[in-house]
Amino acid sequence: MASFVEPLRPNIASADVALPGVRDYEQVDDEIIATLKPSAGWFGALGVSILLFLVGAAAWIYQIYWGLGNAGYAPPVMWGVYIITFVFWVGIGHAGTLISAILFLFRAGFRTTIYRCAEAMTVFAVMTAGLFPIIHIGRPWKFFWLIPYPNWRMIWPNFKSPLVWDVFAISTYLTVSATFLYVGLIPDIAVLRDRETNPMRKQILAVLSLGWRNSEPEWRHFMKMYLFLAAFSTPLVLSVHSVVSFDFAMALTPGWHATIFAPYFVAGAIFSGVGMVFTIIIPIRRFFSLRHYVTINHLDAAAKLCLFTSLIVGCAYLIEFWVAWYSGVAVEQEFFWNRVFGQWWWSAWIMLICNMVLPLSLFSQQLRRNPTWLFILSIFINIGMWFERFVIIVPSLSHEFEPWQWGHYAPSWVDVSILIGSFGWFFMWFLLFIKQLPVIAISEVKEIVPPKLRTHAAPHGVDVSGHHPPYGVATPGEFD
Amino acid sequence: MSQSTGSAGVKRREFLKVLGAASAVTTTIGCSQEKVEKLIPYLVSPDQTVPGVSTYYSTTCRECATACGVVAEVRDGRAIKLEGNPEHPVNHGALCARGQAALQGLYNPDRYRSPMVREGGKLVATTWEKAIPLLSQKIGEVRSTGRAGNVAFIDQHASGSFGAFLDQWLGAFGFPAHHQYDSSADLAVRAANSAAYGVAMPGIDMAAATLVISLGADFLDGRDAGVPMQLTFADARAKLQHAPRFIYIGPRRSLTGLNADEWIACKPGSEDAIARALLGAVGGTGGGTIAEAAAASGVTAATLQRLADELKAARPSLVLSGVSTPNAGVVATIAANINKAAGNVGVTVKPGEPMGGYDGAVGAAQMGEIAKAANAGSIPLLFVRGANPAYDTPKSMQFSAAMAKVPYKVSFSCYPDETTELCDLVLPSDHALESWGDAEAKPGVISLQQPVMDRIFDTRATGDVLLQLAQGDPATVARFPWKSYRDFLVSRFPGGSATFTQALASGMANGAIAQRSAPGARPALSAETPATIAGDGEYFLVVYPHAVLSTGAGANKPWLQELPDPVAKILWQSWVELHPTTASKLGVSAGDHVTVKTSTGSITAPAFVYLGIRQDTVAVALGQGHTAYGRYAKDIGINALDALGATWNGAGGVSLTQARATVTRGGDRSDLVTTEGSARQHGRGIAQAMSVADLVAGRFGEEAHHFPGDADHSFLPGLRSPVAGDAQGDLVDSTAKDQGMYNPKHWSGMAKRRWAMTIDLARCTGCSACVTACYAENNIPTVGARWQGRALRPGSASDDSAWDTRPGANILKGREMSWLRIERYFEGGEDGSTDFEARFVPMMCQHCGNAPCEPVCPVYATYHSPDGLNVQVYNRCVGTRYCSNGCPYKVRYFNWHGYGEPERRQYAFPEPLHLQLNPDVTVRGKGVMEKCSFCVQRIREAENLAKLEGRELKPDEFTTACAQACPSRAIVFGDAADENWSVAKLALDARAYHVFEELSTYTAVVYLKRVNHPGGAN
Repeated sequence: MASFVEPLRPNIASADVALPGVRDYEQVDDEIIATLKPSAGWFGALGVSILLFLVGAAAWIYQIYWGLGNAGYAPPVMWGVYIITFVFWVGIGHAGTLISAILFLFRAGFRTTIYRCAEAMTVFAVMTAGLFPIIHIGRPWKFFWLIPYPNWRMIWPNFKSPLVWDVFAISTYLTVSATFLYVGLIPDIAVLRDRETNPMRKQILAVLSLGWRNSEPEWRHFMKMYLFLAAFSTPLVLSVHSVVSFDFAMALTPGWHATIFAPYFVAGAIFSGVGMVFTIIIPIRRFFSLRHYVTINHLDAAAKLCLFTSLIVGCAYLIEFWVAWYSGVAVEQEFFWNRVFGQWWWSAWIMLICNMVLPLSLFSQQLRRNPTWLFILSIFINIGMWFERFVIIVPSLSHEFEPWQWGHYAPSWVDVSILIGSFGWFFMWFLLFIKQLPVIAISEVKEIVPPKLRTHAAPHGVDVSGHHPPYGVATPGEFD
Repeated sequence: MSQSTGSAGVKRREFLKVLGAASAVTTTIGCSQEKVEKLIPYLVSPDQTVPGVSTYYSTTCRECATACGVVAEVRDGRAIKLEGNPEHPVNHGALCARGQAALQGLYNPDRYRSPMVREGGKLVATTWEKAIPLLSQKIGEVRSTGRAGNVAFIDQHASGSFGAFLDQWLGAFGFPAHHQYDSSADLAVRAANSAAYGVAMPGIDMAAATLVISLGADFLDGRDAGVPMQLTFADARAKLQHAPRFIYIGPRRSLTGLNADEWIACKPGSEDAIARALLGAVGGTGGGTIAEAAAASGVTAATLQRLADELKAARPSLVLSGVSTPNAGVVATIAANINKAAGNVGVTVKPGEPMGGYDGAVGAAQMGEIAKAANAGSIPLLFVRGANPAYDTPKSMQFSAAMAKVPYKVSFSCYPDETTELCDLVLPSDHALESWGDAEAKPGVISLQQPVMDRIFDTRATGDVLLQLAQGDPATVARFPWKSYRDFLVSRFPGGSATFTQALASGMANGAIAQRSAPGARPALSAETPATIAGDGEYFLVVYPHAVLSTGAGANKPWLQELPDPVAKILWQSWVELHPTTASKLGVSAGDHVTVKTSTGSITAPAFVYLGIRQDTVAVALGQGHTAYGRYAKDIGINALDALGATWNGAGGVSLTQARATVTRGGDRSDLVTTEGSARQHGRGIAQAMSVADLVAGRFGEEAHHFPGDADHSFLPGLRSPVAGDAQGDLVDSTAKDQGMYNPKHWSGMAKRRWAMTIDLARCTGCSACVTACYAENNIPTVGARWQGRALRPGSASDDSAWDTRPGANILKGREMSWLRIERYFEGGEDGSTDFEARFVPMMCQHCGNAPCEPVCPVYATYHSPDGLNVQVYNRCVGTRYCSNGCPYKVRYFNWHGYGEPERRQYAFPEPLHLQLNPDVTVRGKGVMEKCSFCVQRIREAENLAKLEGRELKPDEFTTACAQACPSRAIVFGDAADENWSVAKLALDARAYHVFEELSTYTAVVYLKRVNHPGGAN
């Protein structure tokens, strides 16, 4: 103990994590619950989100009435912005479960303050994604035919079709991630309930908290449940996006028909999700004054995850080219050439630069610890990952086996409106969430805050709980 | 115990009554808010009419002068399909696209629905009771002023008794004989033929030839006698190693040119020099030398020498002429002389077995005379029927302006075309499918035309109207004793009424049509000066009749507008053809507008860069640029005649190649409305061909190609998997014990048949008649009209500015619905040389045994039927479009808009076009996928018929719509599992191959390789 050297930048990708700016439980309760108070800025943001959502909804209604022809589809490009955006949002939805479940199982401490945010993001992203297959189909009022339900015609969906697997994958994922989010929220809802003065809200919170009394058996059961759900969700992270990738890999289409698709999609999904976490968490820690909860160390660790997944994704891109060359299949080779140097070069290079080149900057520790850069990079990653799906879908379909049917594609105002509307829908739910429920897990933060003991000053700089002593608020480099 | 239960409350019976009544009311009211549609059966059914069962009537196609025999399928009193009459001597069951589209003339929504009279500058509807006396009065006025001799009657060109009848009528009133105007007929060739062979159209037997040379004769481009010429051409090519080699000479490679083995690109106007050189080579008198021809034509002397040598060596040969220069008659005469000198007459050219379909037509020169007279104010009354000289004469002739000076103009046309719109009185005639008539199938054979259904509008047969007019006049009534025009036909029919009725069943009878007695009905060839292409521009302007729309008559039929030009593959648009070198010189790329200016006018249209044209030539098709003629024709493209002057050939036809032009790049551009993706097949073996030498030597593979799955392999000869192979491909291993239930020989007998198709590319010319047949049979919506586009911004249905109203807006998005399309790939010519080859591939659903579309459909909307069909269930489809992504052939089509919904802007069948819809085929709603079904309705109809008659299907008992129509007889359909069907034998041909065989799709469509006859070493 005596040999303890205070690390300047502790390795927080471990259970050994500390929030030096947070002193005690009351501070946690006060500061985090304070974020729930609606502000003018929040109302403004919510208003914009709802407006965008309404734009998208109106465009969808228009499209249902007049037919999909008003979207930009140009056969043979039969899938367009909607499927791109579907995969995009499903991908976003993957980081949440990775952070909350897998990193929980790995006891990676840096997840504590960001996981709630990521998990909410997951649920809302999957909610958004789930709409798109319905928006995309020709007769959306018949979408329930994809669901196996008993009917007098004795017709079942075709279980060979990846689209049916999709139905299961997405609905399972939405159910499990929503449950996981809710279970994790129970102790926090109890805190809110205890502090709530409005009887109506108090009643609702009381119901939602399932009568949580903070007793030891409750905690024991809670932790068992949480661990179980984490273990249950973990394979889903891998399976859901694998299934989504089968939507493509199962077709003969050049550029789709590849065995690498499942791991490639999963890595891409996590990468895009981490990007979206940055896009969300960096403004939140700034506007909600939570910089001493989500510290630079947290961002640094998440940036390493981002870099790692970027490298996997980049490797997958290169392997695709290599396989096209190595296979000796002329159709495949021609297609890849067309993707990168031909008709669709611009989209491919947006993808390669945003997802493969720019994230290499995260090898620099300085940039990893620069929230402004991380935010900018995250926007590039979001764009790049949307374009990754564009590059997978559009160039493949436009340049298939039959040269006579090679074509072009350009989205229309309906596509763009619905794409924008999806962001409106997503952020509407997210904004509503962050003012109703704590965006940082109060109970989990409390686990790493040193409990108040009678003896404040512990000998040798280490308190009885074994934690490091709190850093001063002014510790350089910690709370930029 | 006395019963007391229930006495106070409701009794069981009452309860049930109330329950019953209540549920009846709820279900009735609650059931549906949708419009209740009425189903009204005949109260008294006409004899032999069974609802839902078709009746077939033989009649004659009147879409051009050729007079093909057709059989009209009539269901519940409405004609729904036209098919060639297999017994007919002209077309032997085939029918071209224009013939099929006659139905869309019959049901054209823009047809006149009643007589019209000009009041206050506008044509307004009137009644026959008012219109006929009005005309009677006008005729009386003209006769009373003594100007009856100056009256003009312009009729459409059609053989038959009507011409004689009309002349008789005109004569009775003291009017001069009528003019049969034909803007598309090759009048110079007919006049030259008449002089040389004694008949206007000698029979042609290409199969007897060993070499066919076409001097600009576009016999496969829907010109005169299109179907019979295509039949003889395809039969000749189907002889494979004994087939004639075919050389096309002309400045532009037309569809006929693309079917040739060699193209000699000569300068426009130099064909006479080449023809003379050839005449010299075969030892005819008046021949020229190779050197002269080489100097005039811009073709090397070596090439011409080889051509001459080939012609000399080939016995028998065949030389056809069809140039459109001012000296067309001269060239045709030399061509006839070559045939004579080479001994072809009676062998390949058969004046003894002439073709019909020509009845002394006049050309634009005669229209010019009429315009001159009208300008001078000497024509008091003008009649027009079917012809449209205000549109299809050169603009510089000012026919419209001249016609406006005629005091009274009467039209008997069906459609609001440019000429009829200028008239003062419109007495719309019945459509040919609603009226009686006859035609000369060939000399000595009458082809009868009978009404196949009751008229849909308030129209009358012109013959009957003329009779009524004549009978209303005491001076003429005695000469017109017939009750109707039909009576007239019967009265002069050999054998009279009884044989007439008998002949109607087959649609034909031996006998002659009434001959016109008018002088000048068969114009001779007047002297022609050697071709001088006028003007001083850098480029030659070649104008040609559109292969589908002809000279414009087809433009009001959406099937024809939606049918891609077989060469350019452009639809709903005009275009200017430029050679790639010319295009780069002008700085023009495809779609850039170019202005072609001659001394007489100019036209501007987007450029189509085409290998098959000389570098010093630009070409424009006729047919578009209507200023009237209904919603489908108006304001689409440009009329190439705007750039032409009044230059005639020796027979009075307009010279379509007459001017030099300056070509400049315009400022604008519009995307080409085309169905072409890539014009090159990138070595993917979609359209395969072999040389005749390989065929003879038995080398059926093609040169090495890189292929998915088997790199650096050659195409395998024959079929890797038998067509009858089952869905799982088990038949690949013939030793497998269980060959699966899809095997036709499986013990369960579940899959008795394997429907399959062979397409012989040696026969296919790319004419696209099959495409239109498919549209007609399968209720395929046309989607290119300007109101069918997508929304460019939110807006109401009536606000045009909110919608993409470019003609072909949907096609620009690749959204055409053609279940069957003809792909046209070029091979070679990358360096811009004339030595390239075009290959046509009809491409439709391949009905894969192992279909990539089937496993991916989440709702089983597409699945495999036991008889080998890849079935699409529209009602089950939710529209994920995954099937299309999986399909390597890209033959699935999606309903992007509500093309079948009358309340939508994009509705494809505006009243009364919907009357044509085939009741056996669903009209698809928006949001579902559709594709070729192998005409499953025909399969089931035949099977049901066989079942009712208690028998098995007979081999080749029925066929699909495309195969039925094909004028090349390239498509054969049937059961590949039964060796008695033709398709089963053809699929075993050594030329057979599957497209993308390496993808293991086990397709049911088998292509037979095209056979080329290259010159030189071979």
